[in-house]
Amino acid sequence: MKRTPSKTVLVIGGGIAGMEAAARLRQLGLQPILVEKSDHLGGHVADWHKLFPDMSEAAALVEKGAAALDGVDVRLSTEILFVNRLRSLYNVMLSSGSNVQCGAIVVATGFSLFPAEKKEEYGYGIYDHVITNADLEKWFNTGEDPRVTDDVRKVGFVHCVGSRDLKAGNTECSKVCCITAIKQAIEMKEHFPEAEIYCFYMDLRLFGKRYEDYYIKAQRDYGIHFIRGRVSEVGENIEGKVVVKAEDTLSGRPVKVTLDLLVLMAGIIRNPDPLPYDRRGRIPPKQRQSRGHHRI
Amino acid sequence: MKERFIFDPFVLPFLVGMAFVLLYCLGGLLQIVFQLPRADRLRFLKSLVTPKTAWKNIKDIFLNCLIHVKLWKRNRLLGYMHSSIAFGWFMLILLGHIEVMLFVPGRASLLYYPIFFNYFVAETETTLKGAALLFLMDFFLLIILIGIGLAMVKRVRSRMFGMRRTTRPAFLDRVGLYSLWAIFPLRLLAESTTAHISGGSFLTGPMNWLYLKIFGTGIAVQPVWWAYSIALCIFMLVLPFTRYMHIPAEMLLIPLRNAGIKIRHPRKGFALAEVYSCPGCGVCIDACPMSARKENLKDSTVYLNRQIRRGNERRIAEISDKCLLCGKCSAVCQVGVQGPELRIAQRSLRHYYIKPDFTAFDTESWKERLEGQGGKVLYFAGCMTHLTPSIKKSLTSVLAKAGVEFKIMDPDGGICCGRPLQMAGRKAEAKALIAKNREIILASGCDTLLLSCPICYRIFKEKYHLEGIRVVHHSVFLDELVRDGRLHISKGEESLVYHDPCELGRGCGIYEEPRHLLSAAGKLVEAAKNRSESICCGGSVGSLSLGFEKRKDITKASLQNLTAASPDRIVTACPLCQSTYSRYSPTPVEDLATTIDRQTTTE
Repeated sequence: MKRTPSKTVLVIGGGIAGMEAAARLRQLGLQPILVEKSDHLGGHVADWHKLFPDMSEAAALVEKGAAALDGVDVRLSTEILFVNRLRSLYNVMLSSGSNVQCGAIVVATGFSLFPAEKKEEYGYGIYDHVITNADLEKWFNTGEDPRVTDDVRKVGFVHCVGSRDLKAGNTECSKVCCITAIKQAIEMKEHFPEAEIYCFYMDLRLFGKRYEDYYIKAQRDYGIHFIRGRVSEVGENIEGKVVVKAEDTLSGRPVKVTLDLLVLMAGIIRNPDPLPYDRRGRIPPKQRQSRGHHRI
Repeated sequence: MKERFIFDPFVLPFLVGMAFVLLYCLGGLLQIVFQLPRADRLRFLKSLVTPKTAWKNIKDIFLNCLIHVKLWKRNRLLGYMHSSIAFGWFMLILLGHIEVMLFVPGRASLLYYPIFFNYFVAETETTLKGAALLFLMDFFLLIILIGIGLAMVKRVRSRMFGMRRTTRPAFLDRVGLYSLWAIFPLRLLAESTTAHISGGSFLTGPMNWLYLKIFGTGIAVQPVWWAYSIALCIFMLVLPFTRYMHIPAEMLLIPLRNAGIKIRHPRKGFALAEVYSCPGCGVCIDACPMSARKENLKDSTVYLNRQIRRGNERRIAEISDKCLLCGKCSAVCQVGVQGPELRIAQRSLRHYYIKPDFTAFDTESWKERLEGQGGKVLYFAGCMTHLTPSIKKSLTSVLAKAGVEFKIMDPDGGICCGRPLQMAGRKAEAKALIAKNREIILASGCDTLLLSCPICYRIFKEKYHLEGIRVVHHSVFLDELVRDGRLHISKGEESLVYHDPCELGRGCGIYEEPRHLLSAAGKLVEAAKNRSESICCGGSVGSLSLGFEKRKDITKASLQNLTAASPDRIVTACPLCQSTYSRYSPTPVEDLATTIDRQTTTE
């Protein structure tokens, strides 16, 4: 296929958003190039097990997205070295060594999960049975994690770990964490029907379609306990079980529960902007830059 | 020497000033001494007649008030400037008195006579004694004049004197300053006018020759002597209302401190002596960690003292509440004003409408559990260590490796040590907590109380009075285990920088043990400012009103200081410092116990 630079669109990030954008651009008759730094497409969803609120398979969504990329130039294991602006085009240097000229760039670089060990009081990486939401999804997929024992009787979910938290350096809300916790709680209940499951939340931000129904279902059909109050301290008792102290702000009492597994809902941190935007959200032309080009 | 006159009206301004300042200081002295609680007052008076403390008082007053030893250590120019003026002036007064005693003993009771000696006498024959004294007088005058010159330069270029920022003098401070500057040049001029009569030396002699050359013998000497006397008068009249009040106040503060007197009342007695002893030099402005990014410049101890003197309650409360109580201002203070203690005392003035009541705390469950356990070492983790479980985990692991039998006082939460309440000035509430904890500790049958948090450590050590029980911080305890050969540390490759936590270093004077441990565990490097001048991490529980964003700036500035030698790891000995630093530090931060745990073998 002969490439026309003005019709070429570079899509940075091969997650669900990037794949969807590339497929749509292709449908519009443009020539998208999808650049992904890892060796597979799907981003965070590729590591997930099932998706809210309908429990569809994450792998199926990634497959569907990849199938729609017919005619898209997909470059895996590739990063952007730098971007500079020509008169009406962008010149992009890729880590593979090739040089791409394109008329537009779509940034779909997504997010990273908050490193839960930074909230040391929750004991991630210190206690034996504390995992994150991502670890749990991995366990759903592989069934292998020494921290999750075979006879889990009590599980706790801590919402908002490293999100909406000034002290953790991230004041933003992750938006989809609440519903993910509910989904994971239901999945755990399905795995261990005997288990008691507790969710410690500040408030539940269930804005999406059918989310509220899902929350009611979790309480009514699955008997999951929702406790409003932030966890103050996590300890480990002599048997190696996790002891969680929190305040139930609805009843106004301190609560203390001993758990077999504690799941930290690590918040979403927006990835830093990969391009040197100016104040108007544009990349300044090359002449105005002091160093010729921007490394990213 | 032959007496020419006994009296001249120009001495009157001097006499007025002198009488005023003497009466004022006497009043102040009596006020402060009578404001002391009875027990303290007796203790103070007793210390004055005890030979050992009396000698120490004299030595300290000579070294600090006259020679300014601490300033010399800080910066030589600054030291010279202060000691030249203080010591030089003292010598001029002393020599003046010696002259009077030698030549006109009958006039020794006249206050003004030694000061204006050269006006009142005429040289009869050149005695060796006279020449030596005249030379000395001129010599010390020269020393002072150089000091005054330096003081003028310092106003413009304080950086030369090792000070980035200095205080903004208040109006009366300026009056005092300029009159002080004027005194010595005027003295030189005045003595020069009469040097052909009273005799002069290498400064006044040539000046007099010039004088006579220009004006002839008929010069009016009176105006210059008047000016000299008036300059002295102005200085002494404003002295009680300026920072120069530190000159007499420090002479009282030193004996009070040597007697072991502490602040008992926020505005009376010892506190008052400290406030008036502040020379307003502003060394504490640069030292204050809150002044990072040029903020909170007017919240350092020098301004607290100024506001207390002015009685500005709003600002006193603001400054007292904001402080982190890191104690660095005290560490660098030349007269030893205790910034944190002074602030805690101010905080105690606040009235709280809700007072927590801890009498309902039942200590029985703790006591029962601990009595059943063996081990002579009782470990109190405290709230901050519970929030940094890595410390608790590694410390218990190290103790197990060394074979120390220990029991944990608060595995499932305990009673607060009381230090945060004490820092907030809520003494009674802190005492109630201390009483509860004491019950538990005394019932546990331990002989050593081990702490991993310096905040707890300090109050356990200072306020608990646990007779027969050794209170020890884990840095010291681990160091002992290593020295006793119970722990074997293997030296790692990494370079480690040690951060002195405020409460452990300046608070309890522990600097060496952690460094000894770390130099065994890795390559120890030092921060740009360390030990007693280490910079607070910004997380201190001492501040009641400092916001999170402001603390962030402090933490970043402190990290910059710590990583001056680009270490692989930052090691500290305080859970609060660890959690504060790890929030922003790109370099990994850990507790001493974690480092030691990693570098010890299990055998």
